[in-house]
Amino acid sequence: MSRAPQASVQPQLAALRSFEAQWRTRPADSLSAVRERAMQRFLKLGLPTTHDETWRYSNLRSLAAQSFVDAPRKTRDEIQPNASLSLLGRADRAASLLMVNGHPTMPVADGLIKGIEIYSLQEVSRLDPMHLKRYLEPLSDADQQRWVLLNTALFLDGLFLKITARVSLPLVILHVSTSDGAGSIAYPRIIIEATPGSSVTIIEHHVAAGEYTPLSNSSTQISLGRDAQMEHYRVYATGAGATHIDSLEIRQDQGSRCKQFTIALGGGLVRTSLEAHLDQPGASLDSYSLLVGHEDRHVDCVNTVTHGARETRSNQTARAIASDSSRVIFNSKVIVNAGAVHAQSQQSCRGLLLSPTAEIDTRPQLEIHADEVKCAHGATTGRLDPDMLFYMLSRGLDRDTAQSLLVYAFLADVLTGMSVGSARAAIENALIAQLPDSQTLRKFR
Amino acid sequence: MLKIIDLSARVAGKDILKGVNLEVNAGEIHAIMGPNGSGKSTLAQVLAGREDYEVTGGSVTFEGRDLLALPAEERARAGLFLGFQYPVEIPGVNNVYLLKAALNAKRKAAGEPEVDAYEFLTLIRQKMKFMQMSESFLTRGVNEGFSGGEKKRNEVLQMLVLEPKLAILDETDSGLDIDALKVVSTGVNSLRDPKRAVVLVTHYQRLLDYVVPDQVHVLSGGRILKSGDRSLAHELERRGYDWVQGAQVA
Repeated sequence: MSRAPQASVQPQLAALRSFEAQWRTRPADSLSAVRERAMQRFLKLGLPTTHDETWRYSNLRSLAAQSFVDAPRKTRDEIQPNASLSLLGRADRAASLLMVNGHPTMPVADGLIKGIEIYSLQEVSRLDPMHLKRYLEPLSDADQQRWVLLNTALFLDGLFLKITARVSLPLVILHVSTSDGAGSIAYPRIIIEATPGSSVTIIEHHVAAGEYTPLSNSSTQISLGRDAQMEHYRVYATGAGATHIDSLEIRQDQGSRCKQFTIALGGGLVRTSLEAHLDQPGASLDSYSLLVGHEDRHVDCVNTVTHGARETRSNQTARAIASDSSRVIFNSKVIVNAGAVHAQSQQSCRGLLLSPTAEIDTRPQLEIHADEVKCAHGATTGRLDPDMLFYMLSRGLDRDTAQSLLVYAFLADVLTGMSVGSARAAIENALIAQLPDSQTLRKFR
Repeated sequence: MLKIIDLSARVAGKDILKGVNLEVNAGEIHAIMGPNGSGKSTLAQVLAGREDYEVTGGSVTFEGRDLLALPAEERARAGLFLGFQYPVEIPGVNNVYLLKAALNAKRKAAGEPEVDAYEFLTLIRQKMKFMQMSESFLTRGVNEGFSGGEKKRNEVLQMLVLEPKLAILDETDSGLDIDALKVVSTGVNSLRDPKRAVVLVTHYQRLLDYVVPDQVHVLSGGRILKSGDRSLAHELERRGYDWVQGAQVA
């Protein structure tokens, strides 16, 4: 036992040293004090290991043994995204912002969208550092937030969006990861502040460009003011060589409503976390996760929803599919704090195994410290139902078609929740392309 | 049309069918009756091609083809239809889509073009009206939230749309009230045709008052113990299955 701590720290030295080296190259700015504290805490705690509760299924050992440098800054003209997935059709008239390795490609045209003020984080750190610090602190030692500490210490730039009205057009943030060589890392950081009564739809779309894809350690923070509404998507559509560690934090004021979609279609290792705080009465969150593993990919999704006030409501719907020798993990926890009376929460996670060598782990958890609450959770994982399959075959359908239809039907609960029709169609298309007999399935839609 | 010779089958390691012989000709309606656990449903499922039901002996030919060599989907396309005793619910897969895919699969196998969308909707509405089904059926998932009676009507609706050569209806009458039974019977009778055949698997003779069979068979202990005309059904109703089983022992 006495050797255990050493064994877990030793292989991390390479990565930790390289992060420390990055830290030393960072110029002093108005955020240096909080960044320094974040860096020190991160170095002290180290990278999470499988001994940490929310990391038990994701082993970062090989990653920890590598060294990393900052991913390059590139202009709009220098990149050519590999993505075949375009999330919005021409008809959408949606606005889009491009971030390359975490750097917004500025200048962002002012008044791009009526009702959204757009700033770079560098601008905000110059103009109003106190405002920014309110988002960077308090620092958390929680293991699911470990990479956020590193992001806070090392992010070079990012986006600050202030939603000031009811915005009907969706805004797409295209995250492009690209590098000229192996062993680089990017720290995209986004802060979205929705003022009281505002509403908006934001789609974060992660794609890769070029031969090398940097490790992406991204962090998005959303703050919803009183009665504000938001529909937020994060979609990962990178190749097998990509690693995403993405942390999302949502804080909700009184009466605010949020619909959140986490869609993992690609990436070699995708680790997503959601930390939602329903801090004020009547706040409501619908979280949808659609996690697709194929080949030997690894998708690990960790949600923590904290009900901190009375009459708050949360609903989590997760659908995981694993084929080939992939592994998909869905770990969700709902905490109902004392005083959050009449809180309602539901967790439904279902897994579908499409191959004998695939693996799905689901763990819905509840921690209730209040009375008079209504909380339910359920988790099931299985293979395609043989009775359903036989029923369809007995009607003359091809086996491939029948199987694909059942897979598609399995995902329907998440897909039907999406209000942006074109995004839904694009996501469906990308999913269907991975299923056998996609030809017939397209007709089905 | 259908010729079953000495068919034996095993389910979950247990021998259920122990040498079934049956011949059904085009234009005929046969009823297979028998007590619970006699193997009636197993016979229906084996004929439809359920994979986890193991055929251990015998042969089945359908229009001269070796039926047992075909996978379930090809049996369906060749014109065999099974009306399930317990139709499964498939949430997320629309009723209409399933039916359209089924009809197109059959047409494709016959070298016919796919059905036109408008033509199909007209057809299905007409059949729905015939089966007295509500419009909501069109937008719902396969059997999703259907009552027992609605599920059975849906089975018959599918049969009417697919127009099989041989329909095997597994206890389609069970759980129906008298009005639903009449609707279902009318549906089955409408399929009566010199080129088609129907096998009704049933526990009670009630259905046979509405759909008159040419032959009645009693299946018990995995074998057909007695065959006769429709009067056999009435006699069974009067004397019970023990009568046949007793006669066999004697």
